[in-house]
Amino acid sequence: MYKLFLTFRYLISKWVAVFSILSVWLCVAMVLIVFSVMDGFLDNIKQHSRGLLGDIIIDNSTLQGFPYYDDFSIYLKEKMPAEIDVVTPVIYSYGIMREPLTSFTKPVRIVGIDFDSYCGVNSFRESLYYDRYYPDTTSLGFAQLPVAGVDEQDKPILPPKLEKAHQSYLNDRDEDKFDETDFYGKTFSSPHGFGEYVQRFGQPSFEGNPLPGIIIGTDVFFHRDKEGFYDRQVLNRGAEIVLTILPLTSRGTIAENPIPVAMRAVDDSRTKVYEIDKICVYVDFKLFQEYLSMGPLERVDGTYTQPRASQLLVSLKEGNDYNAVAPRVEALWKEFLVTLYGSVTPKDADLLTRVGVDTWETRQQAFIQAVEKEKVLVTILFAIISIVAIVLIGVVFYMIVLQKTRDIGIIKSLGATSLGVAMIFIMYGAIIGVIGGILGILTGTTVVANINEIQAWLASRNPNLQVWSPEVYTFDRIPSVVKPTVIFAVFGMAVLTSTLGALVPAMKAAWVWPVKTLRYE
Amino acid sequence: MVLAKATKIHKSYPLGKTRVSVLRGVNLEVRKGEMLAVTGSSGCGKSTLLHILGALDAPDQGTVSFAGEDLFAQKTWKRDAIRNRDVGFVFQFYHLLPEFNVLENVLMPRMVGTPVLSWISSRKTAKARAAEILELVGLKDRFNHRPKELSGGERQRVAIARAIVNEPRFLLADEPTGNLDAKMGKGIMDCLRGLNQNGQTIVLVTHDPLIAQQADRQVRLVDGRIEA
Ligand SMILES: Nc1ncnc2c1ncn2[C@@H]1O[C@H](COP(=O)(O)OP(=O)(O)OP(=O)(O)O)[C@@H](O)[C@H]1O
Ligand SMILES: [Mg+2]
Repeated sequence: MYKLFLTFRYLISKWVAVFSILSVWLCVAMVLIVFSVMDGFLDNIKQHSRGLLGDIIIDNSTLQGFPYYDDFSIYLKEKMPAEIDVVTPVIYSYGIMREPLTSFTKPVRIVGIDFDSYCGVNSFRESLYYDRYYPDTTSLGFAQLPVAGVDEQDKPILPPKLEKAHQSYLNDRDEDKFDETDFYGKTFSSPHGFGEYVQRFGQPSFEGNPLPGIIIGTDVFFHRDKEGFYDRQVLNRGAEIVLTILPLTSRGTIAENPIPVAMRAVDDSRTKVYEIDKICVYVDFKLFQEYLSMGPLERVDGTYTQPRASQLLVSLKEGNDYNAVAPRVEALWKEFLVTLYGSVTPKDADLLTRVGVDTWETRQQAFIQAVEKEKVLVTILFAIISIVAIVLIGVVFYMIVLQKTRDIGIIKSLGATSLGVAMIFIMYGAIIGVIGGILGILTGTTVVANINEIQAWLASRNPNLQVWSPEVYTFDRIPSVVKPTVIFAVFGMAVLTSTLGALVPAMKAAWVWPVKTLRYE
Repeated sequence: MVLAKATKIHKSYPLGKTRVSVLRGVNLEVRKGEMLAVTGSSGCGKSTLLHILGALDAPDQGTVSFAGEDLFAQKTWKRDAIRNRDVGFVFQFYHLLPEFNVLENVLMPRMVGTPVLSWISSRKTAKARAAEILELVGLKDRFNHRPKELSGGERQRVAIARAIVNEPRFLLADEPTGNLDAKMGKGIMDCLRGLNQNGQTIVLVTHDPLIAQQADRQVRLVDGRIEA
């Protein structure tokens, strides 16, 4: 009986209990915050790089790309109908983007995509801004400038097509799924009029000559204000843009003079990987292929050159393991090359032999090598922090038991068993571990959940405290999710260390003859 | 009838690289119902002997038989139980638990000896018993005081109350009057004699001859042995 009684009395009558709870609390919160942010960071990298690519990637990592991509897509789908879901070709190149009104220019990485199939392979569609509020209105085909009119109540109204799309968004919007950098997402209003669309008095309409659409990475043009919202007013939806392209021959030489292409910015894409969003723009595959001279060109003898693509992205059907499928795709590619034997020009053959097959995971390795280094560093820091926390908790309990050594002797002289006396302090440690652990987890999860707000607040007081900068960390937000498994692990560790920290000195004090500990006075 | 019998007790303590011998073959018999006083000069080993008699410390050599059984050959849990039920110890320096009030300190041996479930049913009687004993030692109105709020004499009486709450067969008191003035000391001695008259076996350590005279029998510890 005495064990519980003594444990509780010691808990409520000793200040040191408060301090040890405090130290467990802080240690748990610290470990939880550091670990969650680090873990979220790595998860982000994995998720996003998969979401931006596909399950399997086929390419030859050159600017010229490789021919026969279309034939192979068909071949692949025929041979592996149960595994292959969507195959989409992509072209990468570089160019210069110019905004004619301000003459603002930027170097960009141009991604030629077949919009529909590209959206089928990865989560690109979810990254689009206008497509969320006006579902299915974004495409890379020819587009005009949408102009909002004003109704009798001075409210902006859009052309019926956009108005209807927006209505369907309003009807089944998901209130939990919004982008915190988006002012309108936050307020659940619509981006009508406020600079996102050109606005005039009179009837809404589509104006200007139809130009091919281009989707711009959000950070190419837009800046985030202090509250973290993007300022999209600098470029209306449908505004004109000039993209200057450098066509390449299959030999890798520049085919013609650079071509300026007038286009309309139909949407912006925020994949949340800053490295991508600050440089990528997306245009229609077929159009881009033509401009780059990668499409079929007539030779002097009347035959045509093979069209080329930079990459094939493959998504698999549900239940397939990309690690298992990738080698089979690679084998199929070899088979496919054999079927081409004899009909390929030497230049094309050169490009074809360089083609390799990768999973998104192995591709990601190269993609984030710098980040991998960060991960190692953070892991080491985290290990040090954990060890410090564990030692700290251990020392606190050692002090507590040391302070109570005389009492241990007294209680033993009254006939308590060694185990019984040790139990008092073990329970004491465990209870402090549980209380401190719970408080630490509450604090830690709260801090992590609001970590971006905290950092924004700090930055607003002193700009030097802006620790998380998108340029440095790839992602523009600090990861703010705490996994339940992490909570359990940290909590278990806190209780275990507190208990062990109390156990060791308590055992030492309890397993001696009572007078030994009574000799101090 | 002999309640406890110490035979050829040796005890030494390490002192630097050598050892100092404190007890060198102590033989002592304590008879049931007697009040025995152990005297000796300061530092001669009286406390050491008393601790060994009360199973609070182990001798280097020799045996202590308690009620016919060898105390140090017992299983640990049996010796723990003897400490709890059969031995009451009053320390030279009181050794009360500072976080607990007077009543709780006196109840402590009861709690130690009772499992959780039976404590629920026996709590009332235990409390009544502790209150009764505190009344007996004259601390009727001090139940809720902490040890540090008490005078030395009052603390000593709490320590005695704690020692006898389980009605032990063997009461050991180490200088119960040592830190007190004559008047306080007399009060404590009256209390112990009262207990002895009701049949309590008591071993008392003191260096005060006046106190020792009040016992039934005196022995003197000299040079690590009991003087003949
Ligand atoms: N744990 C120990 N370590 C070393 N020496 C000890 C220890 N305990 C006791 N001693 C020594 O043993 C001797 C006897 O000590 P003890 O406390 O039994 O004396 P005492 O007769 O009770 O003295 P007093 O009358 O002052 O209480 C002393 O010299 C003391 O220094
Ligand atoms: Mg002494």
